[in-house]
Amino acid sequence: MSDALVQISNAVIEGRVKDIPSLTNTALSSGLTAKDILDKGLMPGMDVIGAEFKKGKKFVPEVLLSARTMQASLDILKPLLAQAGEKMAGKVIIGTVKGDLHDIGKSLVGMMLEGAGFEVVNLGKDVPPEKFVDAVKKEKPDIVAMSALLTTTMRSMGHTVTALKEAGLRESVKIMIGGAPVTVDFAKQIGADAYAANAPAAAELAKKLINSN
Amino acid sequence: MPLYILACRVLQSMMEPYLREANIPATFMEYGFHRTPQLMTPALQEELDRITESSVFIIGYGLCGNGLAGLKAGRHTLIVPRADDCITLLLGSYQSYITEFTAEPGTYYLTKGWLESGSHPLKEYRELLEKYDKETADWIMDEQYRNYKRVVLVASNQEELDAYRHKAREVADFCAERWGYRYEELVGSDEFVKKLVTVAFQLTESTDDFLVIPPGGEVKQEMYWR
Repeated sequence: MSDALVQISNAVIEGRVKDIPSLTNTALSSGLTAKDILDKGLMPGMDVIGAEFKKGKKFVPEVLLSARTMQASLDILKPLLAQAGEKMAGKVIIGTVKGDLHDIGKSLVGMMLEGAGFEVVNLGKDVPPEKFVDAVKKEKPDIVAMSALLTTTMRSMGHTVTALKEAGLRESVKIMIGGAPVTVDFAKQIGADAYAANAPAAAELAKKLINSN
Repeated sequence: MPLYILACRVLQSMMEPYLREANIPATFMEYGFHRTPQLMTPALQEELDRITESSVFIIGYGLCGNGLAGLKAGRHTLIVPRADDCITLLLGSYQSYITEFTAEPGTYYLTKGWLESGSHPLKEYRELLEKYDKETADWIMDEQYRNYKRVVLVASNQEELDAYRHKAREVADFCAERWGYRYEELVGSDEFVKKLVTVAFQLTESTDDFLVIPPGGEVKQEMYWR
C-alpha cells in the first residue's frame, strides 16, 4: 500500500487532526483519488480504532479524536467525490431514540455512512417515534437507522418500528439498529431488519441492505 | 450454603454497614467497568469461578449497559438486583429511577462512591488536560457532556448530602459554567441495597426487584425488561 495511505491511516488511529489536511492534500497531489484515500486510508484507520475500543484498549476520547480526524479529511474529499460522479449509495435517516441523549455513536455512524456514499439525514437525539415517522414520509429514505445507549431507552426502538408499521411505512424502508446495549436478538425481537455492532460495520450493513432490495 | 458478595466499588459505602452486621465476605471491583462493559463479564466471571464450593453470590451491579449479560452462575446461585444501572440502587427503587429519568433524561448523577472512587466531568477534564492541549480537551468534553441538563447529588441521607455537597458543587459549578447545567440534590434510599444484602439471598425465584439465577443459569438482558 502507498506510504501516503499508511500515513493517513495512522493519523486517523492516533487522532492527529492537525496533520490530516496536509496528508490528504499530499495524497491527492500524488495522484491518489478521493475514493482511494477514503477506502484505503481513512476507513482502515477507523476499523483499527473501532477494534481497539471494543477490546477496551481505547476510550471514547480517542475514538472522538479519530472521528474528528476522519471528518477533517472527508471535508476535503467530499466535493471531489461528488465531482467524480459517484452515485449516491442511498438515503438514510438516523437518530438516537426517545429519552436518550447519547449522540456520539450515532454521529460516528452518520459519518461512516456518508463516507460510504450515503446521503444522511440526521434527526439528532431524543427522537420520538412520531418524528421518525414524519421524517420517513418527508425524506423517503431507503434506510432508518436508530441508536440507543441505555437499556432503559432501547425499547423505544421497538415503539418506532411499531409506529412505522401503523403508518403503513414499514415496508418502504429497511430498519437497522445499534448502540452499546443492543444485540442481534433484540433486533429480531422488535422486527428490525438488522443490527450492527459498530460504526464501520454499520456502513457495510447499510450497503448490504440496499443491495438486497 | 456459603454466602458471598461481589459488587462494584460505588456501592461499597452503602453496603458496608449491613455487611459488618452480617459478616459476609465481600469483594468490591474497580468502578472503571462502567466505561468498558465488555470487560466486566470476564472479570466478574473469574471471581465467581474462583470459588469451588457451591455458594450463593449476591451481585452488587445493575445490568450496566449489558456488562452483566452473559455472566454464568456455574455451580453457584446468583442473586442480582433487577436494575438497569447503579442509579436505581442508589435511589432505592426502580420507580424512583423512572420518575427521575422521566423528569429529566439529561441527568448526570454524582454519589459518594462516584465522587470518592469513580470519575466525573471535572476529574476527566483535568486528566484530558494532562494529555492534550486545551482546545482538544475542551472539544472532547463538549462532545461528551453538552447534552446533559442537570447534575444531581444523590445521597442515602441528609448527613451524607451535607458531607459531599462541597465536592459535588465543585463539579456542578464546572458543568454549569461550561454547559449551563443546573444543580440539584436528592436524598435517595438504601432500601434496595439493604434488601439485597439482608434478605434477597433467601429467595428461590425471581421477583420484581431481584433475579435469582440458579446453578447452570446465565444473566440475560431480557430478564430486566418490564
